[in-house]
Amino acid sequence: MIRIENVSKDLGEFKLNDVTLHINEGEYCIILGPTGAGKTILIETIAGIYHPDCGEIFLGGINVTDVSPKDRSISMVYQDYMLFPHLTVEENVGFGLRLKKIAKNDIKKEVNKITDLLGVSHLLNRYPDTLSGGEKQRIAIARAVITKPKVLLLDEPLSALDTRTTWRLQEELKKMHRLTKTTTIHVTHSFEEAFSLGDRIAVMKDGKIIQVGVPDDIFRKPNSEFIADFVGVENIFRGKSVVHNDISEVHTDEICIVSSTLKSGDVAASIRPEDIFISKTEFESSARNSFVGKIIRIKSMGALTKIEVDVGAPFVVALTKQSFENMEFVCGNRVYIAFKASAVHLF
Amino acid sequence: MKNESRLKLFSISITLLLSIFIISIITCISMKVNPNTLLSVIVSKEILFAIKLSLVTSIISTLMCIAISIPASYALARYNLFGKTLITTIVDLPLALPPLVIGVGLLLLFGTTSFGNYLSDIGLQFVFTPLGIIIAQFTVNISFMLRIMRSTFEGISPRYEYVAQTLGCTPLQAFLKTTLPMAKNGLMAGGIITWSKGIGEFGAALMIAGATRMKTETLPISLFLNMSSGDLDLAMASAFILIIISIVSLYIFERRGNMANLY
Repeated sequence: MIRIENVSKDLGEFKLNDVTLHINEGEYCIILGPTGAGKTILIETIAGIYHPDCGEIFLGGINVTDVSPKDRSISMVYQDYMLFPHLTVEENVGFGLRLKKIAKNDIKKEVNKITDLLGVSHLLNRYPDTLSGGEKQRIAIARAVITKPKVLLLDEPLSALDTRTTWRLQEELKKMHRLTKTTTIHVTHSFEEAFSLGDRIAVMKDGKIIQVGVPDDIFRKPNSEFIADFVGVENIFRGKSVVHNDISEVHTDEICIVSSTLKSGDVAASIRPEDIFISKTEFESSARNSFVGKIIRIKSMGALTKIEVDVGAPFVVALTKQSFENMEFVCGNRVYIAFKASAVHLF
Repeated sequence: MKNESRLKLFSISITLLLSIFIISIITCISMKVNPNTLLSVIVSKEILFAIKLSLVTSIISTLMCIAISIPASYALARYNLFGKTLITTIVDLPLALPPLVIGVGLLLLFGTTSFGNYLSDIGLQFVFTPLGIIIAQFTVNISFMLRIMRSTFEGISPRYEYVAQTLGCTPLQAFLKTTLPMAKNGLMAGGIITWSKGIGEFGAALMIAGATRMKTETLPISLFLNMSSGDLDLAMASAFILIIISIVSLYIFERRGNMANLY
């Protein structure tokens, strides 16, 4: 669908360095990276705001490198919304359709439809200055998708919002993507957002894409120290969660994890390596989660030792050097691991 | 503590003294204005001419300042031009130059060069005509307008235009539909203050357009001519009108100017 081939762009402060990235039709692709990695220039270049110094961009097989932004059928949403302050919500949302010279009645219908879907139809006569962050971002999204773009670009769309609004909007983005199947590129520095929304993740650093893959691969098999540090999370699992009796049961393909975070539906569960107990004998403890498996790798990291245990799914357990030496683990040992429901974070 | 209160006392006193000084100037003029004769003087042929000429020239020169400053300040605010610092310094220069010097320069440019002769041949005679007043007001005020518009445009994120472009605008349409309406307050504030400065412009206009009664007689020129000839009633009427215009436009500028960088 989108092919970015060897694109470079130097804007002085920020730059792109030989970026190649292929995104499939209908895919939700996350571009993950720290501040200053060049994520925003990348999507602004895809939108056609900047002409690449070299390289080419293809959209649906057509070379659009020299096509102006208005003819690319790509919409963009920024972190700080960029709603036109001199226009009402209704005029903001209908902006793209008015340029297409569509009949007023039809514009009104479309505006009502999309704002209903995003739950902001009661705000149509208001001006952006009077709205909350969450409302502004919903309207910015409505304005972007109303033109039915081939590609939707989201630049840190959830970063300026509080945690609850972020969660809710994340769910809505998921829902909308399921409904419209619009190819989406979502830029973020939050691994939670990346993991929860992305079909695939491209990690960026210093203007370069350094790894592309499905979320599990990025988190479990980071190809560099930088990514491992940046994502900073081990023991992350995707699954379906069912809430009953004040706990969530998360069923992944391989195992079932119990969490005290109440969240149902598609979730990701994470457990910090130091919250997991490990032993050669079976536990008799109150921990809700316990599994048996085999040690597959042992990595000494100074004061800490990390032990990878395969219990059907791979877990990383962290021990102090002292306790590791006391327990005398070696690769291939059969071990028991356990952790509390409260140690399982769902998002 | 004691030092701080001394500083407070000193700085506030200076401010008050300055206010009293300015009020005194305006009061002195107002005292000289005879309310009984003011009305009859204002509707006199000469003052009506001066009011009309001042309004026409200042409105035209303000529109010219707006028309030139919008694209020029946009370029300076948005693009990385080669030699931008040098260009910025050059276009800011009229702010620092004495109006008399600008007037002499204009007189030489339009009166003695082949460029001036050419314009004169096609009917654009600037020397000793109202056209000269317009070009004098324009030259003295353009840098001022340019600075206001540049800071207004710099205060508006270019991303509004980027979004508008992805929604189907050409770059020009995006500017006209987003940045320009958002710059409305800066434009109003700059326009008002430019107009008010234009109406009071004296030095440069005197040099290129001369001070001819009933020909190039704007309000400040009328004030100057009537003071020279001792016709105090006429002079004070001109001064009084200029004061009223200044106070009103300053008030509008303050109100609009505060909102200029809202976005």
